[in-house]
Amino acid sequence: MNPLTQAVISGLMMGAVYALLSIGLVIVYQTAHVINLAHGEAYSIAGIFVSVLAGTHILPIWAAIAGAIIVAVLISIAIERFLLRPRRLWSHSALILVTLAAAIFSRGALYTLIGSDAVSFPRLVSGAPFRIAGGVLPPQGLLLIVMAFALAIAVPLFLSTTQLGRQLRATAENPDAAQLMGVNVDRARLLAFAIAGAYGAIGAVLLVPLVSVDFHAGLDMTLRGFIAAALGGMLPLWAIVCSILLGLGEAFVTTYFDALAKDPIVFLMLIGVAVWRSRKIRFGGGLRA
Amino acid sequence: MKRSRIILLATAIIVIALPFTGLVLGWSVGLATLVYFDALTVIGLNLIFGVTGMLTLGQAAFMAVPAYCAGILESVGVPFFLSVGAGLVVTLVLAVCTGRVFIRLPGVYLAFGTLAVAFVVEGTARAFPLITGGSSGLILEHGRSLGDRGWYLIALVALTGGMTIYWYLVSGAFLRRLRTIRHDELAAAVLGINVGRSKEKVFLIGATFAAVAGILRAYYVGLVIPENGGVDPSLELLAMTLLGGPGYLFGPLFGTALLQWLFIITGYAKGYVLLVYGAVFLLAVLYLKDGIAGWVAKIWDRFELMIDGPRQDPCPTRRVVSSLSDRHTQRSGVCLQVLDIAKRFRGVVALDGVSFTVEFGEIFTIVGPNGAGKSTLFNIISGIELPTRGVVKIANKDAASFSISERARFVGRSFQVARLVPDLTVVENIMVRVDQITPELSELERRSLALNQIAAFGLSAVADTPVSALSAGQRKLIDLTRAAAGDPSLVLLDEPAVGLAADELDHLKSLLHQLQARGSAVVIVEHNIDFVAEVAKRGIVLDGGRPIAFGAIKEILADPKVQEAYFGALL
Repeated sequence: MNPLTQAVISGLMMGAVYALLSIGLVIVYQTAHVINLAHGEAYSIAGIFVSVLAGTHILPIWAAIAGAIIVAVLISIAIERFLLRPRRLWSHSALILVTLAAAIFSRGALYTLIGSDAVSFPRLVSGAPFRIAGGVLPPQGLLLIVMAFALAIAVPLFLSTTQLGRQLRATAENPDAAQLMGVNVDRARLLAFAIAGAYGAIGAVLLVPLVSVDFHAGLDMTLRGFIAAALGGMLPLWAIVCSILLGLGEAFVTTYFDALAKDPIVFLMLIGVAVWRSRKIRFGGGLRA
Repeated sequence: MKRSRIILLATAIIVIALPFTGLVLGWSVGLATLVYFDALTVIGLNLIFGVTGMLTLGQAAFMAVPAYCAGILESVGVPFFLSVGAGLVVTLVLAVCTGRVFIRLPGVYLAFGTLAVAFVVEGTARAFPLITGGSSGLILEHGRSLGDRGWYLIALVALTGGMTIYWYLVSGAFLRRLRTIRHDELAAAVLGINVGRSKEKVFLIGATFAAVAGILRAYYVGLVIPENGGVDPSLELLAMTLLGGPGYLFGPLFGTALLQWLFIITGYAKGYVLLVYGAVFLLAVLYLKDGIAGWVAKIWDRFELMIDGPRQDPCPTRRVVSSLSDRHTQRSGVCLQVLDIAKRFRGVVALDGVSFTVEFGEIFTIVGPNGAGKSTLFNIISGIELPTRGVVKIANKDAASFSISERARFVGRSFQVARLVPDLTVVENIMVRVDQITPELSELERRSLALNQIAAFGLSAVADTPVSALSAGQRKLIDLTRAAAGDPSLVLLDEPAVGLAADELDHLKSLLHQLQARGSAVVIVEHNIDFVAEVAKRGIVLDGGRPIAFGAIKEILADPKVQEAYFGALL
């Protein structure tokens, strides 16, 4: 086995999931100007939902998956509609705190449901793994990479080519002006949250069979999505590129150094971004006259 | 006064004795000791988050790091007190570095950055089991001999000390400064507050509380494990801050006690601990803005009102310092020189080739249609933005050599929409500026200075009213009064007449003449042409960032180029 190829393969798989998560964070940030700390909950809720249903054998797995995606989208929309929209005038930190509280509540609910054990469900596609240049790629992994990147790339395309996408971007640029031009800003935000929720859930459906998920996976995923998004300057295309870099970086550290060193090194990257961003800021934080 | 002290003392005695009585289920001496240590950390977090509004999600890291450092040093034979000292120093260095990196960025970076610190501390503690003991933790022997009651006493003393420090530290000018930063960082900077440094200082103080509390707690428990420095306890500390009441002295104790006690009693129903915690966190964030301490304060106020009737007005402050104008020596000749200023935003020309001078005691005006670059010019003069080209000189000194907060000493600025702190009173809002320009005076002297300024500007009637209770027009006059406090050489007024009622407009005119009489140079950006023609002698007209007319106000308003640019749509 060739450790280099294997690292590239697992890096691409993780990078694909990070791309799904970071792109959701970015469009929510752009349209609603909120960093949604409950973003990763769509991932853990969907992953656990399918695992639990698959374990009971009541529903066929595809029905469980469809249900999980719908649930994640509904929860994501509910966060915007019932937690954030009525508090639009609160400060940024207060809104971040609201999403954090939602994340902690979801974590508590998941813990009550399944306890502290990690759960998983069978792979969607089985079969012999592909062997590429000394590396091993399970069919599920190939599905993950292809689907996740396709979906992630679809977002920037959607934003730049469709009428609805342009409305979303107008909302991001200047919500008041967009409203005056007839864009339904509230609906645009709901759409952004819906996409984010769906992508988080799809990420879980694709990745969880390969790894497993536990009750506190959500915040971890949010954090990695944010790091990729921040590395990419909160721009959709760059967020995808940086997600791949983040996934590869983590995989190389795990392969050549130590899995336990992954967290510290990933966060050193965040510190690097912060230093790079702060070079131009002369006072305070995020000021505009 | 006396009665409230007696009640406070009685409550304190009950609280201190409570764990020994066994009256509250689960409230043991051991739990109370832990609560006191955590409350000490939460005091620091209350300062960072509750008062200043900075969201930090990794405070527990600053509790675990000193304990780990001290424990590791002790295990290689360094004496106890030296180890503890080194542990504290390392933590403070870590806090300074974290602050330096994240605090000047938009708030979300601090939130994620501190979260990252917590992840790194927890991960590092796990990754090097030979040094840190790995997941099973690092044992700290030294506290064993003290016994439960000894530790309870230490915790009590530490908490009381922490609350006393907070009480004395977070008051007066420092508290006003932090409130202003929390509400509006830009306004704070223009008022002369060094926002970045103030926030770093607050972050460091908060981390110090955490470090002291963390090291005590670890020696009390006798063990520090990786999870102690991780994300979960950090978020719990935040929940305690919120629940207790952000910004209140007793908030940390209330919040910590309630949450820890909830953990203990829901622990009997295994599996529901995290759910209850999540629900409490969510409800506190959504509905309990002032926490338990806010509740208690409200009940207390009602109780006092019931017994004493309405509160008496505080006795009028003695007038100590009448005016600061004698501090300035030279008040004649040229005050402001703007030399060939240009500003580009990514290729878009906002200003190009703008030059003019303003003398002391003169009212000068900048007019022009929307998008002419007036606000950008103001931002450059007050230091919010840097020019792409050109020089601004104030009293013959190059303004580029002063940071935005240093300029406040000789530049006062008002905004289009008044940027006051709504939950402070009028006099407190004005004191924010006075605090910055005369830090050497006492609190009483600064207050009397601010009151004199308000009286001179004819606003004494509202001096003790919270700004949130005033009309938009009154706020604008107060913003102006604040900008002119301390008689700065240069006063910049951004559309002062917009939105004023007729009587307020007359008031504004008299204030402008007063500023002129005091010798300040006044620069006004204004749309109201009649008003401008009445108060100003000279001015400049901008269009598309370029000056199109300059000189006596009557002449420039009659200039056909100006009429075309300004009234083009009408003619």
